[in-house]
Amino acid sequence: MPDKFKFAFMPSASCGGCEIAIVDIDEVILKVAELADIVYWPTALDFKDHHLEALPDGSITVGFFNGAVRNDHDVHHAKLLRQKSAFVVAFGACAQMGGIPSLGNFWTTEELAHRMYDTVPSVNNPEGTRPQLKYDAPEGELTLPRAMDRAYALDQVIDVDYYLPGCPPQVKWIVAAVEAVASGELPPKGTVIAGTKAVCDECPRERSEEKQVTEFKRIHLVENDPEKCLLEQGIMCCGPATRDGCEAACVTAGQACRGCFGPTDNVNDMGAKLASAIASITVADAQEEADRILGHLDDPAGYFYRFGLAKSMLGVQRGEFKPEAE
Amino acid sequence: MQKIEIDPISRLEGHGKIAIFLDDAGDVAEAYLQIPELRGFEQFCVGRPVEELPRITPRICGV
Ligand code: SF4
Ligand code: SF4
Ligand code: SF4
Repeated sequence: MPDKFKFAFMPSASCGGCEIAIVDIDEVILKVAELADIVYWPTALDFKDHHLEALPDGSITVGFFNGAVRNDHDVHHAKLLRQKSAFVVAFGACAQMGGIPSLGNFWTTEELAHRMYDTVPSVNNPEGTRPQLKYDAPEGELTLPRAMDRAYALDQVIDVDYYLPGCPPQVKWIVAAVEAVASGELPPKGTVIAGTKAVCDECPRERSEEKQVTEFKRIHLVENDPEKCLLEQGIMCCGPATRDGCEAACVTAGQACRGCFGPTDNVNDMGAKLASAIASITVADAQEEADRILGHLDDPAGYFYRFGLAKSMLGVQRGEFKPEAE
Repeated sequence: MQKIEIDPISRLEGHGKIAIFLDDAGDVAEAYLQIPELRGFEQFCVGRPVEELPRITPRICGV
């Protein structure tokens, strides 16, 4: 074991919330500083790629990667972090399963760009200027990374050792991960460092043995009973298919779960699992009745795949630029 | 012309790089700020229930 561990924190198509979560561990950060040197963390300190490139391969104890993989620069960073790290942790929902940015996978990158640069009301771009991979400015050349066909989860690009789920991950699980490294008692490769059951198992709301739903309603249109299961009140909740470990944070705060901890063990496709969970609790005698009830579930794609479309079996391949094409 | 590139701009969330071009006298001739990121919130928020947006748009920036 080295005298001191080395940690690296790599951002990609992220929001920074994951890195704020690291700072949120408060005084535990002092313990981390005692335990490990931070050798790369550009969001917090002045690090550039060359600092990472100069390190010997495998010399970083744990490389934490946050954000989805969205362009060739992210792919390069993912591969570089893998090369330099003994263990790589997919940190947060975006790295674990694409996260919110992978909601964009319902469109092609060109469709996203068209909206962003041509038609969004706050943009005035009559010449249709678009970002160029290379631009010859009068003073010299400028370059930009190339966007891929869609957002990818980290393990679709490199080998990943562990997952810290959540949007963002919660302090207690970050601390658990750091303690596991410190003690040398590492869980089996592939472990998702969180609970092993479903959010429903941690949820304080009362629920009956047999959930039955005869109507779906939007949360602001009902006065929901704070003691009772939201799903049983007809409010879409992803608790049944979502891994526990957050102490049902949203549900306790009066909001339904949206699945940021990802699926429970042995679930291949979270959306499919949720669709089947919803189907099994919907009570209808006839097809028309079922259609009517489910018709009120106004955005199933956005509920079932809120944080994980990149990992869905639906995984639409658009035939544009993919990570292996780098 | 000499080019100084700051990539990434560190100690911030979000992605940015700066290219500064210097003339022969070493003075700044031109500087460019580039934002090398695409996620697509402008598109993928469209059609989602409005009450869900407070749970989606905070992920534009979580700092
Ligand atoms: S997982 Fe959530 S908090 Fe982390 S980068 Fe993605 S959107 Fe931000
Ligand atoms: S469905 Fe939602 S509200 Fe109901 S028990 Fe599960 S987590 Fe709680
Ligand atoms: S309740 Fe669901 S959406 Fe909220 S933090 Fe927990 S897993 Fe994430």
